[in-house]
Amino acid sequence: MAEVWYLIIGDPVLNGLIALSSILFHNFGLAIIALTIIVRLALWPLMRRQLESTKAMQSMQPKIQELQKKHGKNQQKLQQEMMKLYKEAGINPMGCLWPMLIQFPIWIALYQAIMKALATTPENLLDLAQHLYSWEVVSQAIPLNSQFLWLDLGQPDHTLILAIIVGGTMWVQQKMTTAPTVDPRQQSTNSMMLLMMPFMFGLFTLMFPSGLPLFWAASNVIGILTQYFFTGGWGYLKFRSPFRPTPVK
Amino acid sequence: MAINSSTRNLEWSYTIAPVAAPSSGLSCGQSSVSTTIYGTPIVDGDIVYVGSYSGQVLALNTVARSQALAFPQTRYGEWEWNCPGTNAGSNAIVADLVMSEEALYVSSSNGRVYSLDKEFGDLNWESDILHKKLWTSPVIQGDTLYVGTFAGHIVTLSVETGALLPWFFESETGFASHPVIYEDTIYVGSFDSKLYAIKIGDSELSWSFPGDKWFWAAPLINEGVVYAGCLDGKVYAIDAETGEKLWEFDAGNPVVSSPVLMDNLLIVADELGSVYVFDLNAELEDKAIVPLKIMSVGAVVRGSLCAQEGLVYIRGQDNWVYVLDINRGGLSWKSPLTIEE
Repeated sequence: MAEVWYLIIGDPVLNGLIALSSILFHNFGLAIIALTIIVRLALWPLMRRQLESTKAMQSMQPKIQELQKKHGKNQQKLQQEMMKLYKEAGINPMGCLWPMLIQFPIWIALYQAIMKALATTPENLLDLAQHLYSWEVVSQAIPLNSQFLWLDLGQPDHTLILAIIVGGTMWVQQKMTTAPTVDPRQQSTNSMMLLMMPFMFGLFTLMFPSGLPLFWAASNVIGILTQYFFTGGWGYLKFRSPFRPTPVK
Repeated sequence: MAINSSTRNLEWSYTIAPVAAPSSGLSCGQSSVSTTIYGTPIVDGDIVYVGSYSGQVLALNTVARSQALAFPQTRYGEWEWNCPGTNAGSNAIVADLVMSEEALYVSSSNGRVYSLDKEFGDLNWESDILHKKLWTSPVIQGDTLYVGTFAGHIVTLSVETGALLPWFFESETGFASHPVIYEDTIYVGSFDSKLYAIKIGDSELSWSFPGDKWFWAAPLINEGVVYAGCLDGKVYAIDAETGEKLWEFDAGNPVVSSPVLMDNLLIVADELGSVYVFDLNAELEDKAIVPLKIMSVGAVVRGSLCAQEGLVYIRGQDNWVYVLDINRGGLSWKSPLTIEE
């Protein structure tokens, strides 16, 4: 199983990343950013569906607010009406999940490629040898130069700068795409997730070799830009939820 | 660990304490660095020198360690030297230490070579930064230290002062193996899957020999023949003068460790623990050689082999040391490299 994985996805991504590094002035940081862009472009048809779904959900917010005013006291009725509304508009609220799930193997391969290529120990370097193609452009790049800006991509960045960038961009991207919900409990969960995920990834940044957080940061920034230009704005980032939990008297 | 090869008893052991990772800038807490030992220890009389991934070089006295005295016992000639580094792993010592009569030479991941006084561990000199990672050992010939880098340079340093000497060699790809000097030529494996022969003083290659993967292990050279294990699973015998292939043997698994010689027998281990013994006087058939004996230690083998008095000592990745009797063709004894609490 592992052999098939590396043959089809793992090794092509790894060798592509190393070849890019060779082409991009032996700069592995640039290679990570470039490969993130290439993968995003390759996955554009899937991303487009995801973005279209998000955009359609955003455009329906006024109607959802009306329903909230009308059926605010009857949650069950409100849910039914909203599902009806989504159905009429041809939107599946869970539809944006599938494109995300399909992208997962690619992100996993990218993660593995970055960790393998950086080879921080001799056994990592030895393992890398078993996955390389005999391309000249690949052999000339090995071992990779792990220095990028102030970062040693093979070591965690303890300066907090990268952690803040990763956490901040992740929060913005999530905020742009997280639709408000009528269910106060769901709203509370969303709000918690909106803070928890960036916080966790910020924490991971302090633990993982910084090549990986660089990939997260690049991926977040590209996500924010595509979201901004495709939906024509900041999405839910500036959106104030009308669904406030009713204060208990 | 020191194991008596006659009694097979553990003589002594010493655990290198983990060190806090060097940090810079707005550090968010300290972490410890692995104290893994990659290089082969050097034994010089009662002193054992060892370098660690955490950037320490230790001089351990066998008498003091046998008595489990606190380290370091300066009256026994023990000392510790810490390699400077900016963050975890940046000062790692991966390469074998190299020893001359009076000094130790240490290649560090911080890109510098250090010369330490053998007796006291004092710093004699440090070189300029030669490249980001120096993971391969330097080699001494005369007054010159030859250092191979991952950037594809062979640079020469003065053994006395560490100053850069005029001759250097530049390749398009980095060097993967420790360089070996035989007569006036350097033999070294490269990341372009070739074994290079570089005549000292020349700027052009003498020859290069292609494998299918990297020549990770340092080659062994004897009587004009280069014996090189390759990660493509083959062992090659190459004419040291011309680079012509004399024979090859396909082990089927990557050869990570350097071969060793015992009289006219060449001993090679592959990564999966099969050990092949070749009679170098045997007749060849169509540039192929048949092993005289094949043994197995049943463990992954990546470390250096050590041959002595008919026995070959092999460190398995399963933390056992295996001792093979080459004449008898089997395992003589084995010992764990872990200490029971």
